[in-house]
Amino acid sequence: MEYILQQFINALSFGAEYALLALGLAIVFSVMGLVNFAHGEVIAIGGYTMVAFATLVTANPWIIILGSVVAAALTSVLLERVAFRPVRYADPTTGLLTAFGVSIVLQNLFLLFVSPRPIAVTSLYFLDVPVDLFGIRISSLQLFETLATLVVIVALTLFLKRTIWGLAMQGASLDFQMVRLMGIRANRVFALAFLISGLLAGLACIFIMARRGSVDPHLGFNPVLMAFVACVVGGFGSLPGAVLGGFLLGIVQVAMLVLLPQEYGGMKDAFVFGIIALILVWRPNGILSPPVEKGDKV
Amino acid sequence: MPRPPTMLDISDLKVFYGPIEAVHGISLCVPEGQCVTLLGPNGAGKSSTISAICGTVKTSGSVKFLGQDLANTDVEDRVRAGISVSPEGRRVFSNLSVEANLLLGAGIRRDRDAIRADIERWFRTFPILGDRRRQMAGTLSGGEQQMLAIARALMSKPRILLLDEPSLGLAPRIVSQIFEMIEQLKQDGMTILLVEQNARQALRISDYAYLLNTGTIQAEGPASSFGQNDELMAKLTGLG
Amino acid sequence: MTLSPTQRRGLIGAALLSAVLIAIGVLATYFGSRYQIRIVYGAYVNLLVVIGLQIFMGNARITNLSHSAFMGIGAYVAAICVTPAATKAISLPAAPFGLNAFSLDPVTSAIIAIAITALITALVGLFIVRMTPIGATIASLAVLVIIHSIFLFRTDIFKGNQAFFGIPQVFSLTSIIVVAVIVVVLARGFRESRWGVQLRASADDETGAAAMGVNVARLRLIAWILSGIVLAIAGISYAYFLGTISARPFYFNHVFLTLAMLILGGMRTVTGAVLGTFVISFGLEVVRWLETGPVVVGIDLPEVLGLSGVVLGLVIVLTMAFRPQGIMGDREIEDIFSKTK
Repeated sequence: MEYILQQFINALSFGAEYALLALGLAIVFSVMGLVNFAHGEVIAIGGYTMVAFATLVTANPWIIILGSVVAAALTSVLLERVAFRPVRYADPTTGLLTAFGVSIVLQNLFLLFVSPRPIAVTSLYFLDVPVDLFGIRISSLQLFETLATLVVIVALTLFLKRTIWGLAMQGASLDFQMVRLMGIRANRVFALAFLISGLLAGLACIFIMARRGSVDPHLGFNPVLMAFVACVVGGFGSLPGAVLGGFLLGIVQVAMLVLLPQEYGGMKDAFVFGIIALILVWRPNGILSPPVEKGDKV
Repeated sequence: MPRPPTMLDISDLKVFYGPIEAVHGISLCVPEGQCVTLLGPNGAGKSSTISAICGTVKTSGSVKFLGQDLANTDVEDRVRAGISVSPEGRRVFSNLSVEANLLLGAGIRRDRDAIRADIERWFRTFPILGDRRRQMAGTLSGGEQQMLAIARALMSKPRILLLDEPSLGLAPRIVSQIFEMIEQLKQDGMTILLVEQNARQALRISDYAYLLNTGTIQAEGPASSFGQNDELMAKLTGLG
Repeated sequence: MTLSPTQRRGLIGAALLSAVLIAIGVLATYFGSRYQIRIVYGAYVNLLVVIGLQIFMGNARITNLSHSAFMGIGAYVAAICVTPAATKAISLPAAPFGLNAFSLDPVTSAIIAIAITALITALVGLFIVRMTPIGATIASLAVLVIIHSIFLFRTDIFKGNQAFFGIPQVFSLTSIIVVAVIVVVLARGFRESRWGVQLRASADDETGAAAMGVNVARLRLIAWILSGIVLAIAGISYAYFLGTISARPFYFNHVFLTLAMLILGGMRTVTGAVLGTFVISFGLEVVRWLETGPVVVGIDLPEVLGLSGVVLGLVIVLTMAFRPQGIMGDREIEDIFSKTK
């Protein structure tokens, strides 16, 4: 029983992290149809900012955290401005390839100007302490992660439903030109989508760094791959889909760890991606695929 | 009778889709407080003209609004200057509630209380929309969506309203209702550029009309004289 | 067989491209150092990959990200078949199905490798060709990860990230030039064939093509399998020259490298594929020389490191921003020399 509960909490916290990452991809995709593979590098920027702050500025972990979130958010907005604006109204494939290009450039800039080796950041270890909950021992980090994701989901929902900018972003996911015909500035909607995405990347960065304790140029690769998978499963562009996909992925992964015999451990990814491929065969556009009428995005 | 000042002045307008020219240098003007109708069959270039005024297509020639040339004005800034559109196909945000659609229509305004009051006023004008304020706009009937689209366009408090085929695909009873609404707007002083295939109804409420075909203006004149030209009317209603 | 005027032009274009390929090869053979020959050979391997990619991407207009994995399948199957049993007894002591107990001649091995790769591509393709373009791209990414996981996991067959060694080095620069010429003619032939023309038309207007009775899914599948065959040939050529392979070169880095080549040159034409491959191959060599000085790297393709990686990424970003159709756009080599369209 305890074992099951333990694994359930594992699945929940994995799922929470994937949901957080997936939301970062989904919010940009819903507005401009861009699969932003550079999201992972935004997370890495957050990690490197932690290094910079910890070695150059302060040992105060809260300031370090704040700094990394702000850096991630700014980077995301900057990327929209310099790299994604030219392909704003292009087809999804052009956007995807651009994002891959940006991702490669940033990774290699880290290699070139920082270091190919991992750099340790110890400031966040305090987030990860064992706690006893309902008689089982779990990491406080898992708790924080799940809570943070829940808070994000609630906040994002309120933002989307209650503010004019939230409504504009939802409208834009269906018919961007019509939003412009309401006099709402396209540039701001795009910037806002990237800002939110960057904030989510910053938040995810905190948890990733607290667990790994180090940053290297490829820090963002696996997280973004998982986020991508979660979005695909949930339905690309659907925010509820991203959350659903994230949690589903968490469950599948933990289930694979629990159910697969030890010696098949290395095949986990193959099985996970195999399941993904099957879901795509069943529902080519994901489980909660958003409406398809996109309007002419001119 | 002194002519009212011109609000929208279009001259030698050409519209391009890639290498294809859809409108071949037309000129027309909409005086303040009047309703001007663009008549013509499918593919005549009516909607392209509306898009050109909104700034969503590539054009040459000049579109002047209140004396200002709009050539270098973005789509968004045209709305802010006072041009609002109820587009062809209505294009309500089907994934948002009726109320949210109206709120977005007022996206450029900052007077929250007045926005609220305007929304309530629309819900009194169209009780059916009021009853469905929380419903997704995509679940409305075609006629309801058209009313919502016009109401949404008016939420930005425009100086001129562009209506692209408001009666398209609607039942005759609903069409009459829509035209009553447009007439009421005109009486309230709104300047309107109406694109229609339903010539008779449109001419009844218009001051002036242009007939567009294959991208050029074939005839123009006061709406009343258009209505008396039997030959032309036969052609128009035949087309419509 | 009668050829249409465009097909005749295609033949001329293929001949022109072949002449360029042969010229570069001859220059390298007579004037190149051993190191330079390896570099040129590497470029030709990538040329095969990029043309394989072009056959599907350029005609169906769907981005594929799984191509390096299929190249890997070709390379591994050929390697397993051709490597002497004595070597395999040492390197693959635990191989199942008696894979380490036989060995075949290089030609038979290559044929088996091509057949198996074609079979696997066909199975995958059955799903891929029915999806929306972006859905197919996403699914192809999943395929890449799955195949790579299998290479890594079944170390008893593939040795994972360790070197699979002892493959007879039967290929030389001359052999791959011959192969490249054949593949160029094949790709150009497919592009101008009825299938290729219909497929390109359907990519521009899918509903229109379907209305004309064109079975788009079937045409895509044909292009997909043909692409898989060329990728297998690329993998075999790679293994037969180097003598050693591992899973790593068949993953993301190589996917992006070859994709950048095709995008820069222009995916719509075979000429674009050739041009992009040579521009980036030799461009990167210059960058790497600037980066580290001339160090022997072998043909193990750019471990995208530092400066060369930045350049590669920038090439993709800038091409997408300013010239999404690539350098060549819709023009083939013969269109440059004659103006008639």
